[in-house]
Amino acid sequence: MLDFFSIFSKGGIVLWCFQGAGVSESFTGPVNALIRSVILQERSGNNSFTHNALSLKYKLDNEFELVFVVGFQKILTLTYVDKFIDDVQLHFRDRYKNELEQRGALKFLLNNFEFGDDFHRLLREAEVSSKAKAPASMRNFNESEKSKKTVKSMIETKDGDKSKEQGGKKSKNAKKEGEKCKRLSIKQITKANGNEGLTQEEIIERNRAKFISKHKISVVLYSKSPKPQKPKGKVNRVWDMSGKSIGELDYSGTNGNNSSDAQNQDPDATAEPFLHLNLLHLQLIWNVHSVWFLCRAKKGGFGGMFGMLKGLVGSKNLTQEDMEPVLEKMRDHLIAKNVAAEISSQLCNSVAKKLEGKVMGTFTTVASTVKQALQDSLVQILQPKRRVDILRDVLEARSQRKPFVITFCGVNGVGKSTNLAKISYWLIENGFTVLIAACDTFRAGAVEQLRTHQRRLNSLHPLEKHGGQPAVQLFEKGYGKDAAGIAMEAIAFARNQVFDVVLIDTAGRMQDNGPLMTALAKLIAVNTPDLVLFVGEALVGNEAVDQLVKFNQALADHSKTDKPRLIDGIVLTKFDTIDDKVGAAISMTYITGQPIVFVGTGQTYSDLRSLNARAVVSALMKA
Amino acid sequence: MDEKIHLDLQDFSEEQFMESFLKEIQSEEAVFILGIFLALALVVLTVVFFGNFWGSSKARNAVLLLGLCDSGKTLLFTRLLLGKFVRTQTSITESSATYKSKDDRGGSWTLIDVPGHESLRVQIVEKHKAVARAVVFVVDSSIFQKDVRDVAEFLYSILTDNIVAKNAPTLVVACNKQDISMAKSAKLIQQQLEKEMNTLRLTRSAALSSQDGAVGGSVYLGKKGKDFEFSQLPNRVEFIECSARGSKDDGGADIDAIEKCLAKL
Repeated sequence: MLDFFSIFSKGGIVLWCFQGAGVSESFTGPVNALIRSVILQERSGNNSFTHNALSLKYKLDNEFELVFVVGFQKILTLTYVDKFIDDVQLHFRDRYKNELEQRGALKFLLNNFEFGDDFHRLLREAEVSSKAKAPASMRNFNESEKSKKTVKSMIETKDGDKSKEQGGKKSKNAKKEGEKCKRLSIKQITKANGNEGLTQEEIIERNRAKFISKHKISVVLYSKSPKPQKPKGKVNRVWDMSGKSIGELDYSGTNGNNSSDAQNQDPDATAEPFLHLNLLHLQLIWNVHSVWFLCRAKKGGFGGMFGMLKGLVGSKNLTQEDMEPVLEKMRDHLIAKNVAAEISSQLCNSVAKKLEGKVMGTFTTVASTVKQALQDSLVQILQPKRRVDILRDVLEARSQRKPFVITFCGVNGVGKSTNLAKISYWLIENGFTVLIAACDTFRAGAVEQLRTHQRRLNSLHPLEKHGGQPAVQLFEKGYGKDAAGIAMEAIAFARNQVFDVVLIDTAGRMQDNGPLMTALAKLIAVNTPDLVLFVGEALVGNEAVDQLVKFNQALADHSKTDKPRLIDGIVLTKFDTIDDKVGAAISMTYITGQPIVFVGTGQTYSDLRSLNARAVVSALMKA
Repeated sequence: MDEKIHLDLQDFSEEQFMESFLKEIQSEEAVFILGIFLALALVVLTVVFFGNFWGSSKARNAVLLLGLCDSGKTLLFTRLLLGKFVRTQTSITESSATYKSKDDRGGSWTLIDVPGHESLRVQIVEKHKAVARAVVFVVDSSIFQKDVRDVAEFLYSILTDNIVAKNAPTLVVACNKQDISMAKSAKLIQQQLEKEMNTLRLTRSAALSSQDGAVGGSVYLGKKGKDFEFSQLPNRVEFIECSARGSKDDGGADIDAIEKCLAKL
């Protein structure tokens, strides 16, 4: 039923693999996809993944640096897979413990891991156990509880207590008999029903005798079952003079005046067994502790004191409980630094999964290990997954004689037009000619704003440098027209006039606004820009997740092709307004998996930077 | 009374002892002090000597295996160490092992296989770049045309790193996967890389500075005014062809060239 099962080291060497009968294609592709999209993007919180028609489940073993992956067809719902992976992992570890405990990468290469027989046996057991749970069969009437009750007991009358009680006692009796032997015979029913003739007290006596004889409890405690009087319960403690007198508050034995009332309540008979119990309790505690000491010492490997010391100093395995308090603190810290709440928790879960079972080095605390792991995963998230070099790509497009098209999208007021101007300034400084397409046909003054930018940029860069042609030109068609149409015309114009870059400015729109999102998706699908940049401000908090998800969703839904153009990069604006609270960068890159291409740090033309992952993470982890 | 006298006698004897001790020192003054100085000097010399010795032996005895994803680094790693074929997946962590070259003359190095994935490689290279004596850059020759920009960018970022530029480790570009028929030759790859690095010099130096003001790698590769060539670098650069998989799966891999290079280190 399984398509494949693979055990490989985190360094990439496959230790053992199994390919199901009839499966021809290699599993390397799906497993690599799993590694790239789940493990390396810190999404290892949930351990399943689908790739085309295959469903993959995996488990990390952090102590020996192994990964266990199982793959099966998505349409099959196999219930035993989770438990199966756990079993296989434990079995593999136990069997190859010696080989795996060697140091260095050679251990994976030198040893032969023959796991086939064990694997097949475990697989058979798992399949059998999943089929073995037959549904419970229904009881027939004789075995049910209803048959044990008499009709009279089920009739509710006004003064029906007495009859109910009688019936109740009878049923209890009958039930006890039934428990002893698993079937209720008719003989016993008649016997039970025969109790009706006796009086109530006799019945009670008989029941009690039976109970005692069956359970053989020491009679001492139960002999005084009709207790003379119930203890009075809690007595309000009276504080004379509001408890100011210390002498009165002293309830120790010597000063027994105030407490003697309370103590007299307890019957003397129970005092002795109580004392006895105390001693027993102490002895029990002592025994438990000594046994615990011995166990810990034994675990340490040496005897006595050395074992415990070893447990304190090093080679301790990290468990979920150890990490929980530290992760809680880290989660709150991240949220305080403006990382979206659900992303913080997903990140912390992923770090926990990565560290579970890992052996800590000497003199490292749990907190430092977790912090280091979290720092590493944050840097990993912020590193771009693809090459980010706009200038190189523009040169490439220039050599192919077509313009490089960049589209800016985002919600209202994040700084699209300002950052568009900054980016065109940077491109002009590097010798490219830019065409700005004013596809924001809605906001009042949008076209005029871009025209002002164009005039300013042109005055800063004299005409001669670009071969007589102005460095920046604006392509606009006024207000109220269709944005996608304007964009298409702008690109055609740029191709004719040999512009290097086309920057398309779109109107800001809320992610919930259906018609506007459709319009944006249409613009992008029709014009297929080379780069779709989402402009987001660094001040945004949990909203970032919602914005990006909905934007990507809209772009995917309204595209006609099966490989839709999604957001390719992020522009993080207003970065100078936040000091330390740089969490928005993490939220955005985590959600999309795309790199942050530009960082806007101010409102003048030169305030454009690139992202330094290390600096952002150190600002994030700073206390 | 007796005790008192006893004490006095004791004091007196101590005084005498001190005096005689001082006298002795003064007599052998020169030799004694000279001896002390000599001992101190020896200690200082030993410390300095060992410091240097340890420092030099700690530094730079690692060979890094770098390259893009799926270029064949892990298989090459296995072949160099043990000569056998294993199936591999994308690496998540680095692997390191000691490599002894087949010749008797060659030394032994620590071979470090660095994962090629973009999000991991920067951090891991940071950790190991200071001890790198040589860098084996593995290139997938069969899909080189598609990836030439990514390959060049990675190579450029390594070569312009401050520490790497200072140490100038030997660079061996291993054009892997020669067993596939469409593989490009080492010469072609070298030419294409040189052209690409030429362009990258322009674009990367014009790149935006990062947000805390730091400008990355201000190292300028090659000579200004002339087209970039690998021979202009201070490092020793070699382009060799190899095939980690070999023409048959169990057959010997064609990695003799790499082994010779490593032996020459």
